[in-house]
Amino acid sequence: MIGYLARRVVQAILVVFGVMLLVFLLEHVIPGGAARAALGQRASQAQIDQFNQLNGYDLPIWHQFLDYCRDLILHFNLGYSYRKNQGVAQLIQETLPKTLVLVGISTFLAVIVAVPLGVLQVVRRNKPIDYILTGTAFIFYAMPAFLLGQILILYFAIDLSWFSTEAPQSASAWGVLSQPKDLVLPVLSLAAITIAAFSRYMRSSMMEALTEDYVRTAKAKGASQRRVLYRHALRNALIPLITLLGLSLPAIVGGALITETVFNFPGMGLLTTQAAVNNDVPLLLGTTFVAALATVVGSLMADVLYAIADPRVRYA
Amino acid sequence: MPSLRTGRRRGPLGIAAGVLAVAAIAMLIFAGTGSAKPNDAAAHSRVKAGGTVTMALPPSTVVNYIFPFMGLQFFSVYNISYMQQNLFRPLYWFGRGSTPALNPAISLAALPKYTKNNTVVTINLKPYKWSNGESVTAQQVVFWMNILKVQKLGWAAYSPGGMPDDVKSVVANSPTKVTITLTGPTNPGWFTYNQLSQITPFPMAWDISATGQKAGSEACGKAPYAKVVVKTDKKNSKVTPTSPEAKSCEKVFEYLSRQSGFDPKNPKAPNNSLKTYATNPLWQVVDGPWHLTKFDSAGTFTLEPNPKYSGPVKPKIDKVVMLPYTSNAAEFNALVGGKIDVGYLPYEDVTSPAKSPLVPGKNHPRLSDFNIDPWYGWGIYYIVPNFNSTGNNGQAGKIMKQLYFRQAFQLLINQPLYIEKLNKGYGVPTYGPVPVLPKNPFATKFAASNPYSYNPKRAIALLTAHGWKVDPKNVTTCADAAKCGVPAGTKLQFTLPYAVGSATTKQLMEAEQASWQQAGIKVTLSVGSFNTVIGNAVPCTGKSCTWEMAFWGGWIYAPDFYPSGELLFQTGAGSNSGSYSDKKNDALIKDTNFGDATLASWQNYLVTQLPVFWQPNQAAQLTEIRKNLKGVVPQNPLQSINPENWFFTQ
Repeated sequence: MIGYLARRVVQAILVVFGVMLLVFLLEHVIPGGAARAALGQRASQAQIDQFNQLNGYDLPIWHQFLDYCRDLILHFNLGYSYRKNQGVAQLIQETLPKTLVLVGISTFLAVIVAVPLGVLQVVRRNKPIDYILTGTAFIFYAMPAFLLGQILILYFAIDLSWFSTEAPQSASAWGVLSQPKDLVLPVLSLAAITIAAFSRYMRSSMMEALTEDYVRTAKAKGASQRRVLYRHALRNALIPLITLLGLSLPAIVGGALITETVFNFPGMGLLTTQAAVNNDVPLLLGTTFVAALATVVGSLMADVLYAIADPRVRYA
Repeated sequence: MPSLRTGRRRGPLGIAAGVLAVAAIAMLIFAGTGSAKPNDAAAHSRVKAGGTVTMALPPSTVVNYIFPFMGLQFFSVYNISYMQQNLFRPLYWFGRGSTPALNPAISLAALPKYTKNNTVVTINLKPYKWSNGESVTAQQVVFWMNILKVQKLGWAAYSPGGMPDDVKSVVANSPTKVTITLTGPTNPGWFTYNQLSQITPFPMAWDISATGQKAGSEACGKAPYAKVVVKTDKKNSKVTPTSPEAKSCEKVFEYLSRQSGFDPKNPKAPNNSLKTYATNPLWQVVDGPWHLTKFDSAGTFTLEPNPKYSGPVKPKIDKVVMLPYTSNAAEFNALVGGKIDVGYLPYEDVTSPAKSPLVPGKNHPRLSDFNIDPWYGWGIYYIVPNFNSTGNNGQAGKIMKQLYFRQAFQLLINQPLYIEKLNKGYGVPTYGPVPVLPKNPFATKFAASNPYSYNPKRAIALLTAHGWKVDPKNVTTCADAAKCGVPAGTKLQFTLPYAVGSATTKQLMEAEQASWQQAGIKVTLSVGSFNTVIGNAVPCTGKSCTWEMAFWGGWIYAPDFYPSGELLFQTGAGSNSGSYSDKKNDALIKDTNFGDATLASWQNYLVTQLPVFWQPNQAAQLTEIRKNLKGVVPQNPLQSINPENWFFTQ
């Protein structure tokens, strides 16, 4: 197990490094570069040269990349965003916890609703409730997040005035948590779509588990329907969800751009998009670093948990 | 306005010119009346003191710099107009009513006086006070000039040849009188609107280089301008302070910049000053009507009245809260949900077209508590042709240099139609380098008359007369090289990248593309981010100079409020992206900057010369104002806001 883990960690480091290098190179082929993006149309060549020299953008790309990696590894300095006039680490430090609150709660809610829904659909498969839940899941799954968010706002916030049109506006995660009423609509908007996806996975996984030999054996041994479902089938059916949850980590960390945009919640999704649009190289590298880290950690966690849950993976 | 250009001779003619120049300045200032609407006068009798106004900032707006001396990276309308100028007043306030004229009533100084052949400028300050009790003095103007001298390359509005390059001396003759002596004669209009407009007096409380120091601990604030000595390299790309006073100025600048969040010496250094804006005692020394009481790094900030404000218009409301929004949709939802008092109607939500550019249509049915008012910026819109382009097999630049081609191209742009259909009536055409709206004393009748109104037949005739075989179904080709000015067989085909923006921009580009095709001019559109488009469309020469045209919007005249075009259209100017070059144009610009000329001759010339392809100017914002909130209109075309004018009615 330790050898397996070590191999995966080394792979993870290489993947993060590769992603960073790719983003770094891509950012440098964009016309105008960081200087023009920061200084705008009015900047003279002298001003651009001065900017490049001060920020080390006049150095060869490999030199810049090594400098960046050195600052990151030795000082955890992710650089400075001109666009935001703040350190990148600080920006991420402020934004990430808020995003974790919003997307984390939605994902948690999605799991605890989707699992019983999936099971219910299997238990009542090909019955009206199954058709209704399947149809509803398809509707939510197909619905753009933007549209769902707008519908929720129009109905619940504007027409009924039950909730705010916006997500909590506090600058801190605690502040966000302290306004649970304002969290309802954005969480619902995100969770509804995730529930639709997870419940479909759960239904398929559960259906598959119910056809396995061990389920037939349990039934033959006289185990009750309840025991067969929850002790034997469900535990095995949950294994694919581990992968799904592991793969959800980058989304939890990376934010939900559309929902953030509709509900005026400046989270990681928006931060990353703005960095890309504004050629804000240090900020884009910073958010990419966090997203890449979340991806490999999520994937690693899923692999490890999978190995723990399913001994066949370990032995293979 | 009559042309005042009389040449450079002096004597009786020169004196007459000087008198006329003073008269011209007075006209520039008083032409913009901008009086309050009659309804507002009635509303004044129903003033309800106090209250909080929440104002929406446009999507993705970043307010992130408080020190009113900044580089281009922080030089934005929102930093300057929404925050800095409400705290720290500029020497001269521009925007009078809905015109871009100088507003003497709320300026810190009386109108400048130009003497000695327009080489000496005398400024008399009014008795303003800082919130710490300090008077706003002439020496504080010198303090700003001292910092500028040392840090001209760090000042966003610096342009070679402008301040401080054209300044010989600055002397504080008394606590209220400053004399600026120039290196040569200037045009008073240009100098007032483009140079003096940059100055913001600094309090002596800022003459420090470390936290905890006593006000005036450094030598920069008190130093005479002459003692601040710097050395500038030949390329004008590096300024080195040499005298102790100059070194002190550099230290002060660096300290104040760091307190604002940016370390000019080490830009990569982590800096958390942004969070301290509302608590840092430095930024609480204000001479404006407001002071900052709350600021968070997400961009929300709160202004409250400066109780010691010594200016003429005292705030009537208790608080202004500025709220950032992630998207138009989020802002619109908040507006409908009643969270905002001053916001904007996204164009996609306009339900009723404007009756005329200044007369809005019916408001959105969900916004019955609001009045709508279109806000036009002091700017021009255009597509930039690259006169040096080697695109189109090396012929693109040569084609652009042909006036007949530029005329034909412009004749196919139907600005009134696009404004009516795409901008829903909220727009004005651009016909020259000076905007015709907002109303202003600079635009000539000729510029407003549009010599190139939409006329496809005339465009085709022009091309045919110049040797082109027009093929509307395919591509027009040059048949007679001698007439075309380019080799026979050259095709009229170009690529036009434009900056991604609203759906309206896309529709506009596609409509124009179809219109150009009527004359067989094949334009291939491509879309890119604003930064990508402006990053590509830079002045260039040689083989790699391949971009042919670009559209990203245009130009806002600020803080160079005098629309004289030296930064845009003069040969070699940094923002002359398409490398337009014309000797007559250069001479005319020079005359508007340093001679006695008004803008009339120059703008009339450029209207006909088409250095760029003029585009419709959509209202910068359709402002939504809660009905019981008064004083917000007329809106300043320079996009400044004066919340001290705002009040709720009973």
